[in-house]
Amino acid sequence: MTSTNGLKSGSNLEKVFRAGHLAVTCECGPPKGADVEHLKKKIQMIKGYVDAANVTDNQTAVVRMSSIGASAILVQNGVEPVMQMVTRDRNRIAAQSDLFGAYALGIRNMLCLTGDHQKFGNHPFARNVFDMDSIQLLSMVRTIRDEGKVNSGEPVEGGVKMFFGAAANPFADPFEFRAIRMGKKIYAGADFIQTQCIYDMPRFKEFMKMARDMGLHEKAFIMAGLTPLKSVGMARYMNRNVSGITIPEEMIKRVAGVPKDKQADEGIKICLEQMAELKEEEGIRGFHIMAIEWEERIPEIVERAGLYPRPRVD
Amino acid sequence: MIVADPKPFQEVRGFLENYRKILILGCGTCVTVCLSGGEAQAELLASGLRIAFKKDGKEVTVLEDTVQRQCEQEFVTPVLERVKKEGIDAVVTLACGVGVNFLSDRIGAVPVFPGVNTTFYGGNVEAGLWSEMCAGCGECITYLTGGICPIARCSKHLLNGPCGGSEKGMCEVDPKNTECVWQLIYDRMKLLGRLDEMRNLLPMKDWRPAMDGGVRRTVREHIYRLSYKSQT
Amino acid sequence: MEKESHLYATCSAACPVHTDTREYVRRISTGDYEGALDVLLEVNPFSSVCGRICHHPCESQCRRQVIDAPVGLRLLKRFVVENTREYRIQRRKKVEPVLGRKIAVIGSGPSGLTAARDLAMLGYKVTVFEKDSMLGGMLAHAIPRYRLPVDALQEDIDDILALGIESRLNCEVGKDVSFKDLRKEYDAILIAVGLAESHSLPIPGIGSDGILLGIPFLWDVANGSPPTLGDRVMVIGGGNVAIDVARAAKRLGPSQVIMACLESREEMPAWKWEIEEAEEEGISIMNSWGPKAILEQNGKTTGIEFKRCTRVFDENKRFNPQYDESVTTSLDVDSVILTIGQKANLDFLKETTVGVDRGRLICDRESCTATERGVFVSGEVMTGPGSAIQAVATGHDVARAIHHYLETGETLKLPQESIETIGELPAQTAARARKFDHIDVRLTDASQRIKDFSPIEPGYTEAQALSEARRCLACGTGAVLAPSAQCAGCLTCVRICPYGVATVERTASMPAQECLTCGLCAAECPAAGVALARFATNRVKETLESILTDCSAEKIQRPLVVSYCCLYEATSRKYLREQTRSEIEETGILRVMVPCVGRLGSIDLVSPFELGADRVSIIACHETGCLYTGAEELLERRIQQARRFLDEIGVGGESLQFFRTHTSAEESWPQFWRESKEDLRATSAA
Repeated sequence: MTSTNGLKSGSNLEKVFRAGHLAVTCECGPPKGADVEHLKKKIQMIKGYVDAANVTDNQTAVVRMSSIGASAILVQNGVEPVMQMVTRDRNRIAAQSDLFGAYALGIRNMLCLTGDHQKFGNHPFARNVFDMDSIQLLSMVRTIRDEGKVNSGEPVEGGVKMFFGAAANPFADPFEFRAIRMGKKIYAGADFIQTQCIYDMPRFKEFMKMARDMGLHEKAFIMAGLTPLKSVGMARYMNRNVSGITIPEEMIKRVAGVPKDKQADEGIKICLEQMAELKEEEGIRGFHIMAIEWEERIPEIVERAGLYPRPRVD
Repeated sequence: MIVADPKPFQEVRGFLENYRKILILGCGTCVTVCLSGGEAQAELLASGLRIAFKKDGKEVTVLEDTVQRQCEQEFVTPVLERVKKEGIDAVVTLACGVGVNFLSDRIGAVPVFPGVNTTFYGGNVEAGLWSEMCAGCGECITYLTGGICPIARCSKHLLNGPCGGSEKGMCEVDPKNTECVWQLIYDRMKLLGRLDEMRNLLPMKDWRPAMDGGVRRTVREHIYRLSYKSQT
Repeated sequence: MEKESHLYATCSAACPVHTDTREYVRRISTGDYEGALDVLLEVNPFSSVCGRICHHPCESQCRRQVIDAPVGLRLLKRFVVENTREYRIQRRKKVEPVLGRKIAVIGSGPSGLTAARDLAMLGYKVTVFEKDSMLGGMLAHAIPRYRLPVDALQEDIDDILALGIESRLNCEVGKDVSFKDLRKEYDAILIAVGLAESHSLPIPGIGSDGILLGIPFLWDVANGSPPTLGDRVMVIGGGNVAIDVARAAKRLGPSQVIMACLESREEMPAWKWEIEEAEEEGISIMNSWGPKAILEQNGKTTGIEFKRCTRVFDENKRFNPQYDESVTTSLDVDSVILTIGQKANLDFLKETTVGVDRGRLICDRESCTATERGVFVSGEVMTGPGSAIQAVATGHDVARAIHHYLETGETLKLPQESIETIGELPAQTAARARKFDHIDVRLTDASQRIKDFSPIEPGYTEAQALSEARRCLACGTGAVLAPSAQCAGCLTCVRICPYGVATVERTASMPAQECLTCGLCAAECPAAGVALARFATNRVKETLESILTDCSAEKIQRPLVVSYCCLYEATSRKYLREQTRSEIEETGILRVMVPCVGRLGSIDLVSPFELGADRVSIIACHETGCLYTGAEELLERRIQQARRFLDEIGVGGESLQFFRTHTSAEESWPQFWRESKEDLRATSAA
């Protein structure tokens, strides 16, 4: 079942989890083209401050450099990638093939997603694939890793030892199903979970309680997702336009209460307070900081959260 | 039933630049029911075309006819004969895509143009509103989902939904009009006392019975190619 | 005349001669008053009379009353006859007695004359024997002039005589000519002498000076030689004739006219409205009193004593009055007029073999025959007291019987009438219908009308008649699925029907009993499969095409406006009349009168452009004036849709114009047409 040392993949992220540390990940969005230098700059900003970085897969259905290609560049530049893979754009043949390719390029973490609907992206007229959903993708890749068989049952040549993750959104509906759905992902093969960014703390805690009641916190490493607010404008925009995200009015007021040039700092302050609170929450095994196009502030957040330096686990 | 919408008039007009005797052919079943291609619609389109041709100074005869179902040999044959006899040189059918194909396969050198856009298999939810409810995937799984189809009615065809885009019962892809089908399934399974089943992982679907398996056909052996019928 | 539905409307079914009510009302609505007269006269030669005095069972059975009030059918009928006099004279035609057989009709009341007319039309030589100097029987003599002016009756009689019927006035059978002679000379004889004599009462004092009988009294009044009445007049009786007597007496100037009858108010056989009108005129009514004695002094009537009537009818509903002799009342009166029932004078049959039993003619109602072959009976002498229109009906019956007898030598048993009516309008349908006030006419003020015998009721004006005619529900002539329809059971009709009438069971069905004939389903049917029996709009395009083909295209004054107008808005037939070709050419306006423009389908709005129209203008009724629930909204949406389509095809949505009538059609429509024409010129200039 497991590779040497009792690890499933031997990725840095897995090792940090298994050593009992709070893990830290962030996002590293690939460029809308082949601008490797731009990507490298981002990598340099976060290097050493996170255990791994998510490389998004045409996030919000906007065409970008492939997550597999960008992840390989992260590997080359010394930051461990969590390669995201969505089922929107590839059927099971492509997904398995990409998994093999990714592994061959040294990628050891993969986050399995269904992906945003193309309606939200820059090619709304494209056809989607959705041969499977994220849960079925998890199940498929887990079978490849653990049983050495592709979806059709044929054997895999050579092992694929990867650490698989999934997303969970405690803020979508129906709420009482949210922990169950996370459980489905875990049973299907998710080793770790990254949640949607948290603003509504009471609801998140309720979600965690349900997860703990099902014992899910012991079956997978659950990372709390966080997005520091850059400005009151951003807060209002997200509140209005991003489904499944509700930012409490007090929080918006708090950001609005400071001068414009101080709002970003206030946002980071709130984020740090949330991290402090979540460290106390049973079952939270790390933080996934989604500082969208704001990678330069990651080191500061990690440091001020008392999570720097990152542990080295061998 | 099959739902279709009328094509924009100018698009249809554009098909017909080089013809002199055109037949507008309505269909008496699905497209009549969804108010896009019945006899009344055929009359209206024909009238509109006559007006438009006249305005352009073109001498074109526009005829109209409607058959019960354009997807049946027996119903279509009289039309084919009429086309031949009257020297009709183009047909615009208001039937669904099946009608277009069915006629094209049989009509010889006369072109057949679509007058409607065939959209989905749906039900009439209320007067004037139709909604997609089946995707014709060839292997019905609704017994697992409380009789509600996630393949047809989930924007991402999820089998283990709802995704994170489900908010207050609506789908993020069209939050004004489209219900999150997984919310519907959840509510229905609850109503049926089957909520536990929502924990089950639904495996990946075999898409062969759907159009991914190639062109589909169905044979009913008990009446297919009866020998006494082929003798006569 | 073709019946539009195999089911009778309740109005027609209730009418003894089954006048095709909805058809004559439809013809009024479309301005075809002459056509309406044709419909009336076909079955009722006494249409003028009935327009005045008919007890209108049609109205009593009108299905509209569940919604608001019945349609004023009697007054509509009167409107028709009063507005088609010239046409009526023109349409008269003599019929040659080609059959060579001769028929004698004794009596010239509504039944005798109806039979005479039917037989004359068949080609028989008919002679009418009337003992009086004027034809018409009770109509001429017993109905007071304030209800039925002589002219109205004369119109009907003139029509009948114009067929070539011979009338022998002042010729009483039994006196001036013997019945036996008639038997010899004629192949068939009809006894239609009516019930022209009043019953008297065997009570003390009945011989005193001051006692009169009802029918002779009316007779004398009608003939202009009224008897002298005392100042206080008592009329005995509770029927319609008694009311006529009392009201006629009132007009002769006594200070007091009182009616007394055995019946309670509810039991009185007179029509409710007649009783009310009598009371308005100051006539008081004593109910449940029976005359016990006439009080007299020196042979002169001085008063009357009554006893309490405790019951009029027995358990078997037979007339069998019971009295409480201990309860009495008496009044001082100077004259008493007895109107307690009528009988026939059958003296002329005394020395014949025609059977008479205790003053009654022995007859068989099923075959309209007396006891002797070749002798027939009709009217009240056969049926007992009844209405004029009922007498007309028996006149038709007996004519059939006589014709059959003369053709075959056999007696015809008239088949029992079985009439399938459309049934009542269900309450839930009625509840969804819009209410429209019944147009009522004001009678002359009571204080004024008792001064003389002038007619007390005005007829409808043209605007009133048109307005009232629109209230007709056109029962049974509504939506039907055309036999050729490719009904897909799409439920569109069910969904838009404002009255919840349409249903789909495999295919659509609009039960005639419930359909209110708005036509909205026909306009929306995607299979173009719903037809309307009445006021069909299914063939608008064909109609337009044929009109425009007849016109010469070059001569038409451009721009050509096809104008759909709600015909219910017309207050005269100025615009209801069909246009001449040259009128269309000269004005460039082609009117299409539609009963509710809401029933125009999309194709009707678009196709005129195909036929060469430059503009289509829709003129709906005035705000909230629509008869039909929901029609306005559906029309509005259909116009929007048609405009989008017209934009798409390059005609331009603005070419389809919508107006609402204000004030009257005659005033506002020409204004709209001008606007249509000018607006278009402005557009084409730009």
